[in-house]
Amino acid sequence: MQPHLKKAFTLLALAIIAFIFVRSLVVPLSFGQYGWYRGDALGDIRNFPVEYAGSASCGEENCHTNIYSVWINGSHKTVNCETCHGPSGKHVNNIREMPGPVNDSRDYCGICHYKRVARPTTFPQIDPAVHGQDMQCTYCHNPHKPWFV
Amino acid sequence: MESLIWGYVYPNEVEIQWSILIVLYPYITGLVAGAFIASSLYHVFGKKEVKPVARFALLTALSFLLVATMPLLTHLGHPERGIEIMFTPHVTSAMSGFGYIYSFYLIVVVLEIWLSFREDIVKKAHNSKGWQELMYSALALFSYDISEKALHEDEKLAKKLAIIGIPSAAFLHGYVGFIFGGIKANPWWSTPLMPLIFLMSAIVSGIALLILLYIASMKIRKHAIDHKCLHSLAHYLWVFLIFDVTLEMLEIISMKYESLEEIDIINRLLSDKIATTFYGVQLTMGILIPFMLLLLVGIIKNRETLKMIMISISSVFVLIGVFAMRWNVVIGGQEISKSLSGTLTYVPVFFNQEGVLPAIIILIIPFIILRVVTYILPPWKDMEEEAAR
Repeated sequence: MQPHLKKAFTLLALAIIAFIFVRSLVVPLSFGQYGWYRGDALGDIRNFPVEYAGSASCGEENCHTNIYSVWINGSHKTVNCETCHGPSGKHVNNIREMPGPVNDSRDYCGICHYKRVARPTTFPQIDPAVHGQDMQCTYCHNPHKPWFV
Repeated sequence: MESLIWGYVYPNEVEIQWSILIVLYPYITGLVAGAFIASSLYHVFGKKEVKPVARFALLTALSFLLVATMPLLTHLGHPERGIEIMFTPHVTSAMSGFGYIYSFYLIVVVLEIWLSFREDIVKKAHNSKGWQELMYSALALFSYDISEKALHEDEKLAKKLAIIGIPSAAFLHGYVGFIFGGIKANPWWSTPLMPLIFLMSAIVSGIALLILLYIASMKIRKHAIDHKCLHSLAHYLWVFLIFDVTLEMLEIISMKYESLEEIDIINRLLSDKIATTFYGVQLTMGILIPFMLLLLVGIIKNRETLKMIMISISSVFVLIGVFAMRWNVVIGGQEISKSLSGTLTYVPVFFNQEGVLPAIIILIIPFIILRVVTYILPPWKDMEEEAAR
């Protein structure tokens, strides 16, 4: 083989070796341990701090018992407190640490209640263009007990 | 929003995810494969008429190949993660296979270009000074042997590479077709004909691009056009147009004849959603008109300027038509709901990561690369020698 061709193929071989070397450095060791993903990812996820406390913790210990009893009997009982009020894990452990502001925008309610062809017709839906004149939904509707206008 | 939806669709379909950038991806890959196959007409099949553009076609293929992944990377929110598909590929992922086929093909094209330009590179290294000398010497890998024997060896290897190159070019683009053809949930995509349809339209678009670039570069350099070469390219364009239209029609006709459960939504797609881009642009403008014009080019004697204009118009129409074909596949396939009883509408935006502006920029970049590459490795000698003959 001509020397220039030898050089070219050596260069190509070096590039392939470099790729394999970089790959061996970049791909985490635990990759493929359980499946086609990084095995250590499971441990990492497990070690994330718990941010949500769960709706039950809002109603117990004489804190928000009134609003809790209204909510638990309403048709929004499947929408947890923290869905709108945000994660409250810290607040439950220390009442001085308040959760973030509640999301009460029209679009947020609309995630469930804007009219979509794919939704069952019995599910309450509105056309935002014609319903409520751009007012906040909570101006008329009580989110803790819908239909209690 | 409501006006863009017809019938029953699923909530997660409302937003069309594969935008104009994903239309561009098979388009650019197709131009690469087409240009390479045009160059192999000389390198493998020894068609001397196309020699003037053979090396230029390789450079064109490289310029477009370098940006082929760009639409995909721009489409990804995290382009830096794109390489991970190469690090941990899975056999069930068609897309990760593309990464390897792309890399293999890039190596073949670079080697092919290097071998066919090596004589020029060595001469340039001898005749230049300073940083140019260093650059050309590096490109020659500091080996300056351009003896008869060495060049003969180069030619032998280049031919072997071109022989490997044709199936890899076909594989590269057939594979893009396979990525769509293998999506069984979408009746507009799922057909084993898809790789072949993609390949034929790729060859057609590649030859059309080469014709236009050849005419444009000769006009810019104020040099006579080799009409024999031009007519030969036009002839191949015409032949591949026939294969292309046959396959495209075969798919539609068999779909209509079989009339499976998805036929209603396919009919609605063809008669409403993509009627203009399918019948108007893809078939009439992209195939029928160029077919007639190129037929006339074959019949008319003399009148070279008229024929050149007809070939240029055909090539422009073919390029637009093939783009429309990619559009009809990528966008059309997403405009029908998985429910098969509803349609959606894609509305392109201009200033957006997924918008028309990045698509235009990505489409301009290969021409800039081509300008740079032809500055470093001028292929004009072949073109001008042949024309002057």
